[in-house]
Amino acid sequence: MNIQKLREQDVRKRCEEALAKAKEYQKELNAVVTFYDIEEQLQNLKHIKEDAPLYGIPVVLKDNVSTKGIRTTASSYMLDNYIPVYDAHIVEKLKQAGAIMIAKASMDELGMGGTNLNAHTGKVRNPWDSDRISGGSSGGSAVLVASDVVALAIGSDTGDSVRKPAAFNGVVGIKPTYGRISRYGMIPYAASLDHVGYFTSEVKDAALALEVLAGRDDRDATSSYEEVPAYSQNIDSDIKGKKIAVLDNVMDEIQDEQVKQNFYELMQKLEKRGAIIEHVTFDDKLMQMLLPVYFIIANAEATSNHSNLDGIRFGLREEGNTLEEIMIHSRTKGFSSNVRKRFIIGSYALYTENQDKIYKKAQQVRRLIVEELKRTLDMYDVVITCAAPGVAPTIKDCENGKLSNQYQVADNHMVLGNFSGYPSMTMPSGYINGLPIGVNMTAKPFDEQMLFNIGVAIEEETGIKNCCAEVKA
Amino acid sequence: METLDKEYIKKLAHQIMMDVNEQEIEDIQADFAVLLSQIKQLQEIDTEGVEPMVYPFEQEVQYLREDVVEHVISQEDALCNVKEVSLGHVKLPKVVK
Repeated sequence: MNIQKLREQDVRKRCEEALAKAKEYQKELNAVVTFYDIEEQLQNLKHIKEDAPLYGIPVVLKDNVSTKGIRTTASSYMLDNYIPVYDAHIVEKLKQAGAIMIAKASMDELGMGGTNLNAHTGKVRNPWDSDRISGGSSGGSAVLVASDVVALAIGSDTGDSVRKPAAFNGVVGIKPTYGRISRYGMIPYAASLDHVGYFTSEVKDAALALEVLAGRDDRDATSSYEEVPAYSQNIDSDIKGKKIAVLDNVMDEIQDEQVKQNFYELMQKLEKRGAIIEHVTFDDKLMQMLLPVYFIIANAEATSNHSNLDGIRFGLREEGNTLEEIMIHSRTKGFSSNVRKRFIIGSYALYTENQDKIYKKAQQVRRLIVEELKRTLDMYDVVITCAAPGVAPTIKDCENGKLSNQYQVADNHMVLGNFSGYPSMTMPSGYINGLPIGVNMTAKPFDEQMLFNIGVAIEEETGIKNCCAEVKA
Repeated sequence: METLDKEYIKKLAHQIMMDVNEQEIEDIQADFAVLLSQIKQLQEIDTEGVEPMVYPFEQEVQYLREDVVEHVISQEDALCNVKEVSLGHVKLPKVVK
């Protein structure tokens, strides 16, 4: 259900129903880490004007968003008992806009993963087929929109952690421009790649949500001074003359004919509306480096960021005879094997003797990759591709590791948006055997409006908006 | 295939205050085998004269604020997530013996 429709219902009723639904679906989806008691928030609404943009609208937060007095674990055992003493900037914004937070959603531990199989509270399931992954790391947030529990759920996106689960769950996933939304109070993963993102069930809601969430915040040094436009009011689905570049490095790698057919039929429809569709190819050698460059930079930054998770000031604290023993025991028990493995890779990249050869080299190649994207967006309004090479994989295939490295580019291309900081959006484009697939678009910095405009045109062509999965509770 | 030896992996783990068990070391060695070959490919890319990209945008967004105290948390808040507190301090094993 979209935000406009929700507004037609009684405030208390819609919030209580959303919370009840989230609880009802928990056994099947396992999407929630912590449920809110919403009574106090409902009472506080009397201090908010009824025309506030999200007045009495139930929302979900990924569990890496700091919430004063509400447990915030980032799905890590290390933070299982952590209760923040302050709200993240976006929580302040949501409260001011009248939103009612109903739940903190599961994620891959500390954001490190793309399946949501690696969460301390267990795997999250896809509402379209519970044998399949939700995608991650913002999997819990994605499935709570896809199953029509809420119309807006906050996530975060360091590699494609909003945009990939959006594709697998048939919802809209936004990663705005780097600096567009303050990250103050977000438990970080990799500072130069981290973005606040979010999910909605239609593009217009995504535009409205950005109006609420965006804006300068002095507490995040990378936060931008760019004015926040009235995105939702400015939506214009007339895309005549808009220049759209299809990224062939991605499309050439995709083997699923149904996925390709869906994509090219959509391109024909956009062309009929007057858009100019052309094909571009980036340097293949650079594109083959997307994953290693991401892996090196993200893990190195994560290792550094998470050195404060030491068991001393907050989080899990294990016994030890010395300060060092406490830290080692706490960090060994507090983090899963998967996360410790990533930290070790990060530590390797940051070793003095490796810094130039590995870390700095990855940063240089990052620039070369971004220059490819920039050159293209100097000539086009957006770059478009399939968001993923197919439907959501099965949990079994992911657990068996059958899928690793099958698609070097098609599975990892959305990291371009994180390397560059350019705004990027995934939205549904169709279904294969009842499972959603999606397209992804990237635009020039701070041109989210272009994504919303073309996004609404795509909705008009596909007829897919507010299409939610039926969950067997 | 080239990878890292056990002792080196343990050293990497200890450097960041963690332990790894034998199974984890084997998994990490397998991952490093892939990573090291990718790093070799990375080295082949000509980056002569290319500045490392540290952040997406290079424009200055840092600012100097007025020298006024703000965003202070109370001692009670600062200690509320600490497992062992004594006399308003974080309690730890003796460092100087």
